[in-house]
Amino acid sequence: MLRRMVLSAAAAAAPCLRNAALLGPGALQATRIFHTGQPSLAPVPPLPEYGGKVRLGLIPEEFFQFLYPKTGVTGPYVLGTGLILYSLSKEIYVITAETFSAISTIGLLIYVVKKYGASIGEFADKLSEQKIAQLEEVKQASIQQIQDAIDTEKSQQALVQKRHYLFDVQRNNIAMALELTYRERLHRVYREVKNRLDYHISVQNMMRRKEQEHMINWVEKHVVQSISAQQEKETIAKCIADLKLLAKKAQSQPVL
Amino acid sequence: MNENLFASFAAPSMMGLPIVVLIVMFPSILFPTPSRLINNRLISIQQWLIQLTSKQMLAIHNQKGRTWALMLMSLILFIGSTNLLGLLPHSFTPTTQLSMNLGMAIPLWAGTVITGFRYKTKVSLAHFLPQGTPLPLIPMLVVIETISLFIQPMALAVRLTANITAGHLLIHLIGGATLALINISATTAFITFIILILLTILEFAVALIQAYVFTLLVSLYLHDNT
Repeated sequence: MLRRMVLSAAAAAAPCLRNAALLGPGALQATRIFHTGQPSLAPVPPLPEYGGKVRLGLIPEEFFQFLYPKTGVTGPYVLGTGLILYSLSKEIYVITAETFSAISTIGLLIYVVKKYGASIGEFADKLSEQKIAQLEEVKQASIQQIQDAIDTEKSQQALVQKRHYLFDVQRNNIAMALELTYRERLHRVYREVKNRLDYHISVQNMMRRKEQEHMINWVEKHVVQSISAQQEKETIAKCIADLKLLAKKAQSQPVL
Repeated sequence: MNENLFASFAAPSMMGLPIVVLIVMFPSILFPTPSRLINNRLISIQQWLIQLTSKQMLAIHNQKGRTWALMLMSLILFIGSTNLLGLLPHSFTPTTQLSMNLGMAIPLWAGTVITGFRYKTKVSLAHFLPQGTPLPLIPMLVVIETISLFIQPMALAVRLTANITAGHLLIHLIGGATLALINISATTAFITFIILILLTILEFAVALIQAYVFTLLVSLYLHDNT
């Protein structure tokens, strides 16, 4: 507590010490500001695609541009030649056995680089391209998959719109089947009823026929019964007399 | 100025400070670390080369041997790059020093042997006696196999040292011959120069081959012992 009072007194006395004062151990929360600059790590700035231009594979182009106003186009070359000749003549660079091995090694390297440099560069570019193409392929496959899913979904939705046709057909089928069953049953009912009515009719017909026959038999029987013996004789004698008449008529007729 | 033929093989020191440590560490800065998905050409080629070499070299090993992958790849990269850099004029090649090659060969070889003895003691001891030797020859053969085992690190180190040193010496000598012949007869000097060029091509090949051979042999010893 006492320490905090001392610290705040120091802060009041010297404003520049305020940050330090507030950082006393066990004191108030630090308000010192860190990281005032830009965050330096991310995002990483892109690398330049091609290196700086060089001449003779070693000397940057800027050097030639630097000397151009004063010495013109040939300036740096003359400078280089002069330096080489100076070092040779003053034996700063001594020609030894190593010189020849240097000539052969460096000459070989320059030859190889000039001949195969471009193709090796293209090969390296192809490696990178393959890597990118592989990832791109994955991305495209994923997009294609999702696109296919969308199309399938859309077609499914369209099909759902047309589902009512299916239901109509089914409904019609069922209605027809019902109609068929109804008519069939109707027909059966009709047949059954007709059967029964026919039965009654035939029963009636039979009864009438039986009655008629019975009546005819009865009448015949009684008529036969009623014909007494004398009547029979008289009838027969009359029949004979008629027959004789007829015979006489018949005899007289055919002559004509 | 080279006083004698072997001055270029002396451990380099600048004003009394041994800078051989810097020279040994120098090739590592020529292999940048891939930091992005798509890198520049150098890193792409380097990645592709390392992938190719490691696939080919680790194909024969089982799971246990493949834990040595980093070691073997670092080995071949270090020896290859050091040898190739040594072909530049006025440069120093660390692999010409027997001390350094012994320092590489003995620990690696010892590592393989001790791994073999620790995990597969019987099989490792069985290597001392080839199959199907007649009974009376056995003691002599065991002695011979032991000697052959202990010569392995020596052979590794001396092979590398001798090849690289011999190559450098030859280049030096033939360069010197060319230099001496220029005043006597230009045509002979020219022919000698052609020989020098051919030798340089050979040395490039030897540099790479020696690296490969060293690593291959270590991997072979590893294969025997895992």
